Amino acid sequence: MMRHIWKLVWNRKRANALIVIEILASFLVLYAVTLVGVYFAHNYRQPLGFSYDRVWLVEIDWQRESIELQPELEEEKEAAMMRQLLTAVKEFPEVESAAAMSVVPYSNSTYSSGFTWKGRQVEFMFNRGTTDTAQVLDMHLTAGRWFTEADAAGSSFRPVVINRRLARELFGTENPLGQVVKEEQDKVERRVIGVLEDFRKDGEFSGLQSYMFEHATLGKSKGGQPNNFVLRVRPGVTAAFEEKLTGKLRSMAPTWGFEVKPIEQMRESTLLWQLIPLTIFGVIVGFLLIMVSLGLLGVLWQNVTQRTKEIGLRRALGATAGEVYAQIVSELLVVSTFGLSLGILAVIQFPLLKVVDFISPTVYFTSLVISLGIVYGLTVLCGLYPGWLATRVQPSEALHYE
Amino acid sequence: MIHLSNVEKVYRTDRIETVALSNINVRVEQGEFISIMGPSGSGKSTLLNVIGLLDVPTGGEVTLNGRLITSYGDRSLARVRNEEIGFIFQTFHLINDLSVVDNVEIPLLYRKMSGAERRKRALKALEQVGLSARVHHFPSQLSGGQQQRVAIARAIVGGPRILLADEPTGNLDSQMGDEVMSILKALNSLEQTTVVMVTHDQRQAEKTARIVRLFDGRQVN
Repeated sequence: MMRHIWKLVWNRKRANALIVIEILASFLVLYAVTLVGVYFAHNYRQPLGFSYDRVWLVEIDWQRESIELQPELEEEKEAAMMRQLLTAVKEFPEVESAAAMSVVPYSNSTYSSGFTWKGRQVEFMFNRGTTDTAQVLDMHLTAGRWFTEADAAGSSFRPVVINRRLARELFGTENPLGQVVKEEQDKVERRVIGVLEDFRKDGEFSGLQSYMFEHATLGKSKGGQPNNFVLRVRPGVTAAFEEKLTGKLRSMAPTWGFEVKPIEQMRESTLLWQLIPLTIFGVIVGFLLIMVSLGLLGVLWQNVTQRTKEIGLRRALGATAGEVYAQIVSELLVVSTFGLSLGILAVIQFPLLKVVDFISPTVYFTSLVISLGIVYGLTVLCGLYPGWLATRVQPSEALHYE
Repeated sequence: MIHLSNVEKVYRTDRIETVALSNINVRVEQGEFISIMGPSGSGKSTLLNVIGLLDVPTGGEVTLNGRLITSYGDRSLARVRNEEIGFIFQTFHLINDLSVVDNVEIPLLYRKMSGAERRKRALKALEQVGLSARVHHFPSQLSGGQQQRVAIARAIVGGPRILLADEPTGNLDSQMGDEVMSILKALNSLEQTTVVMVTHDQRQAEKTARIVRLFDGRQVN
């Protein structure tokens, strides 16, 4: 029977071309949105690499416009003041631990870097943190250690902590600890002292990226020093502490600006902004699918009406109502398969040609299966009513239908 | 073989009641070739539809080989139509998107049968009607007479004991009509197939063993 249906659909290819195009177009749009959705969901299940619970951010504005005349001298003063401020923050009984870092989680800032490694370009995200940063953010190290005060004593190499992805990228299956990462033009070598599980600064929906941390010392530094404090407050600390903390910091550095906010608040805002485009496209796709469904329903309805005589003939020749019903739905599935095969041929090029290399084959494949399931489900759903109508008509009436 | 007893068919709408058949009593024996005649609207096709289980009578009983068919459900009726009855229509009712041999195979699609067996039987049926050279043609590439022969091949492919023909020569010129009639006659005489034919052509009706005449839904003899 399936061969008969394939033959019938193929011989009616002109009549079925519009349905095929409609199914193909809706599949491609649905696949794009599903891909983003599955990518987000996949990322959501990956380790974040840090904890944002009870972590607050103090963003410091040094008001540098006023010190441009003597930058060297002022940087020394600035570093000293930063150390004093960090000590003062740690002394608050409400604060469990505090540290300074350059790029805080869920902030809009990014710091990317890269170098040529064994003949290929390696790109990664870059950050600096003081000795307590890992403790404050509860960062998970899978090997080695985080920076200690001893690292600040001026060793011959720069200690770095990298994430697992960068470790794999640089050293493959070799143990990354103690390995030297040095660019050809670098005077100081970087040596890996620890491996982080991960550090997905942009939050749960963001993709896995290669990451490298360097030690920040709050001293005169070539690379610039961090202008953010992150602090983990004790359980039960309320928003009132924000004012108390800001007051203290302002009293110590009256010309500087301070903004204090919980990281959780930044997280909510970041995730919202990441989800908005997906939601908008999701709604558009939802409407598109409704339109496609109505279109399909109309086309199939017309198709069944046009074929009333054929349906009557099949009933006269021995088809049961159920067999006619199954044939209508099967034909629709075959037509869908034509459209979806073209769609699969198109979308499979993305993973094959590695057009978007940060999306894994699993995400591509899962999105494909979901999109296929939705389109097949939808077409079957659209075929149910016209199929049922086909079974309602009496064979004798159908044969004389005009 | 076929026994219609007090068969009645009334079409009812909210306003009108149309009596299509009234008090029809017909008995057709195995191997008979009968024709049903009558003017337009006399109920010929309705009677054929009732005999062919395509329509359900509103009164009376239809018995086929001693089985009371009027009590059968959709699945059982479909099986009887598929295995025991072959239909030939005035307008051929061929599916234009399928080749001749694919059209002939259709009744066998509703049986448990391999594709190879279906094809073998379809080719044999086409050979019987003299269309072996046209198996891969499409209906639109054939003449009216050839199309009707394809329809006859489709009707006989399943080996039915009854052939029901609704004005099989109605759309054909006299020469082609005679060809079709000779095929039906051969099937009747050589294979003992029972043939019930609706016609308004007295010349063709006279070639059959018996004529059942209808007028305004009633049997007149």
